[in-house]
Amino acid sequence: MSIVINNLNMHFDELTLFKNFSIEFAEGTISCILGPSGCGKTTLLNIIGGLQKPQNGHVLGIDKKSISYIFQEPRLLPWRTVQQNIELVLANAYDEPKRQQIAQNFIDLVELNGFENYYPSQLSGGMRQRVSIARAFAYPSDLILMDEPLKGLDVKLKLNLIKAFTRIWQVDKRTVLFVTHDVDEALMLGNDIIVFSKAPINVITQKSIGEPSVKRNLASPEYFELKNQLLKVLND
Amino acid sequence: MLILLEENYPMKISFTKRQYISFASVVFMLLIWKLLSLYFKSDFILPSPEKTLVTTIELFVDKGFLATVGITMARGIIGFFLSLILGLSLGIWAGINANFSAFLKPILVTIRSTPVIAVILLALIWLNTNAVPVFIALLTMFPFICTNVIDGIKSVDGNLTQMATFYKVSHWRIVREVYVPAIMPFIISGASSAMGIGWRAIIIGEVLSQPQYGIGTVMQSAQTFLKVDAVIAWTLIAVVISYLFEKVIRWSEKRIVVWK
Repeated sequence: MSIVINNLNMHFDELTLFKNFSIEFAEGTISCILGPSGCGKTTLLNIIGGLQKPQNGHVLGIDKKSISYIFQEPRLLPWRTVQQNIELVLANAYDEPKRQQIAQNFIDLVELNGFENYYPSQLSGGMRQRVSIARAFAYPSDLILMDEPLKGLDVKLKLNLIKAFTRIWQVDKRTVLFVTHDVDEALMLGNDIIVFSKAPINVITQKSIGEPSVKRNLASPEYFELKNQLLKVLND
Repeated sequence: MLILLEENYPMKISFTKRQYISFASVVFMLLIWKLLSLYFKSDFILPSPEKTLVTTIELFVDKGFLATVGITMARGIIGFFLSLILGLSLGIWAGINANFSAFLKPILVTIRSTPVIAVILLALIWLNTNAVPVFIALLTMFPFICTNVIDGIKSVDGNLTQMATFYKVSHWRIVREVYVPAIMPFIISGASSAMGIGWRAIIIGEVLSQPQYGIGTVMQSAQTFLKVDAVIAWTLIAVVISYLFEKVIRWSEKRIVVWK
């Protein structure tokens, strides 16, 4: 079942973020939400994740869903190892041996094998974010929310993380809502790319890319063209 | 990485340059002591370090030694654990509840700024002689631990608790996995300051309340009979015990706070 948002209204004092806003996100795809900073993209994720309550409106299709969140910061417990950080979120769902096995599987998928017993302080920023990606996928969720997890990382690390992410997603196609303000990230990851306006939010444009993420070549003319189109609507 | 190295290699005894300097500092203190004792030329004012050392050894082999030292240490440990329990429970409550924190703050400030000697004088009237030193220890140590626990809880990263709540980690597990480790360094540094101050307070308490056994008790009687060497010997023993407690706390810190 897809995720449907109906007639969402939300404002803070003078600022109206959503006014009768409705949108639908398809199931089993990566929807990238592009938009200017401060437009309310994160608020939308938080509403879907239940971290913030809208003044009125409904989110349909998430009642029985379990949700993972990849935050802007890795948010790992500094006093727990890579393995323990992932197992923490599995404690309710699985018994000990199963937890270990699942955690190990996702550690391998983000190419962190050998680092199971490292503490976050012993890892680089990109490795920490990979742990948080592994944690999100290890958690038995139907939906993954991502709030600019690549912000502030250099290009090489970004590519690395996107590779890690798509490698997992290929074998485990969950619904993903990925918020970003970076067009390249959206082009590399998104199946659907949705561009938001400044607050109050409207959908300005929506594009779909059929080609699987791993096969995309952003240097090719078609992606170049698409990028220019997206940049143009974003800057208008 | 450092942690792994420490565990895999047997302990190697070697001294750094700093340790040599610290050792020189101890020698310096002994030298000053020796010079002063030569100047005064009287065991009733300041006995020499050698004589005091002999007295210390005599105290060690005395049959009352274990009871005296053991009971003073027991008072310290009881006072410490009472402070820990009280400090933890009130501290956690105040850390979570801002109203209770506002209520507790003036009480902590009052206890902390009251001179130890005033509390002892009152405790001597209120309590029996054995309870006075423990009571003093509790009053001096508890505010340190409590204040540190409150600060520790306030330092817990809201992002981490939000993450754990989002992933439906149980309340009990959040306390165990997020709160307790986060406040651990604060508890340890609180315990270390508390022990430093509390230890001295216990001995003062014993000097004045004169329980049957205790380092303070024997120091007081040694002073009455002008046995200066014994007063200093007991002082040295108290310093060593205090140092050992500090070592135990630092050692447990290394064992517990391994993630830094």
